[in-house]
Amino acid sequence: MRFNEKELVFLSRQPPERAAELGMRGPKKGDVVKRRVVKLIVNFLFYFRTDEDEPIGALLLEQCRVEREDDQVFSIVFLDEAERKYLFECDSQEQCVEWIDAIVKASYEFMRKNLIYYRTEIHRLTGTDPLEQYGISDETRFQVNTGLPPAAT
Amino acid sequence: MSARSSAVTRERFMQRHVIVSQERKKEGRKTRSKETIMKLNEKSVAHYATCNSPPDKTGFLFKKGERNTAYHRRWFILKGNMLFYFEERESREPIGVIVLEGCTVELCESESEEFAFAVKFDCVKARVYKMAAENQAAMESWVKALSRASFDYMRLVVKELERQLEEVQEEARSSQAKNKPKKHQPQVQGATFSLQNAAITGPSQEGVSSRENGVSWSKPTSVPNGVSEGCVWEGDFCGRGDGVKPPPVPPRRKTNGGSPESPVSPGTGCFSKLHEWYGKEVAELRIEWMQSK
Repeated sequence: MRFNEKELVFLSRQPPERAAELGMRGPKKGDVVKRRVVKLIVNFLFYFRTDEDEPIGALLLEQCRVEREDDQVFSIVFLDEAERKYLFECDSQEQCVEWIDAIVKASYEFMRKNLIYYRTEIHRLTGTDPLEQYGISDETRFQVNTGLPPAAT
Repeated sequence: MSARSSAVTRERFMQRHVIVSQERKKEGRKTRSKETIMKLNEKSVAHYATCNSPPDKTGFLFKKGERNTAYHRRWFILKGNMLFYFEERESREPIGVIVLEGCTVELCESESEEFAFAVKFDCVKARVYKMAAENQAAMESWVKALSRASFDYMRLVVKELERQLEEVQEEARSSQAKNKPKKHQPQVQGATFSLQNAAITGPSQEGVSSRENGVSWSKPTSVPNGVSEGCVWEGDFCGRGDGVKPPPVPPRRKTNGGSPESPVSPGTGCFSKLHEWYGKEVAELRIEWMQSK
């Protein structure tokens, strides 16, 4: 599958939400833990060799599950290939918890759920759709139900 | 090949490899060789395209080829900040994906295609993705959808609504305390909302990201005028039997006064200004288009 690699590399240079040097192990049998610089930017997790500016790779953080494996270790698993785990070793429990939290919240779909919740709540409490004043209440991405615009009242 | 000679070959290969990487380190080069492509969890990315979460937009578009200049009709699926394209509508796997961060969408003149637009990126030597819709309405719809597809935009809207909800809840609490339930006055049209922690992209922070402990998510007791006219809201959301829990609050980021503005978004932390920017851009392009016809 083709993807706009150059633009992704450019994205990997933007200010990250979170960045750290962690131990990372790939999902293949025989993969070993290696020190990597890991950067969370929008819904991507980029990983770099510690002495390089260009990322070795990126993980799109959609349709994935993040789990605590150990005190200082968390894993990322993608729902379409649940047996393959990416492992990340942190330097402390606190760091581990923070990374898990950050990655869970880094998905576009997670943000969309938040938005729908806020929109619905505000509407319920005030009777006004908060997106109306911006003229974006009909955007499919902001809809409450399955991508269809709400029935006209 | 005998065991000995293959061992020798391997050793020579390893020596060569070590020499090359030492040389490159001496040169202070931090980039990898041009031949290496960045890895991506492609299989899972492709799965995201076709999994059960509803797409934001789908349809046929003509896409200009990478090498040759012909336009090919492709089936497009926009989901979040990812624009997937398939050979056919029935294809199970996408041919490719365009990550829509740090890009702008522009109408463009094309010799061969009407209703053409382009997705352009900020980076050096970036590719320009030229596309064409089948009619004016489709073109406008796609341009609008694509220009609002970025993660950053979604994040901005979420932050704004989060802030509004807090305001509303605060008011509900204080009006309860005063025992005077009243309908919340909707925000004044055209007011400027500056995001409290105005960072489009949070500054790089190691260490504690502050959690939002101050917000209580307890449901307020029934607000007399809070019942919406549009029952679709109540029904759809509260109808879920799982005892709808509010999603965890995205952590507030502490900013140090002047927070760096992300180069991937227009430079403003004020939501309504930013939204105006998007809207203005589309409106201006539309005028340009009309005038050029």
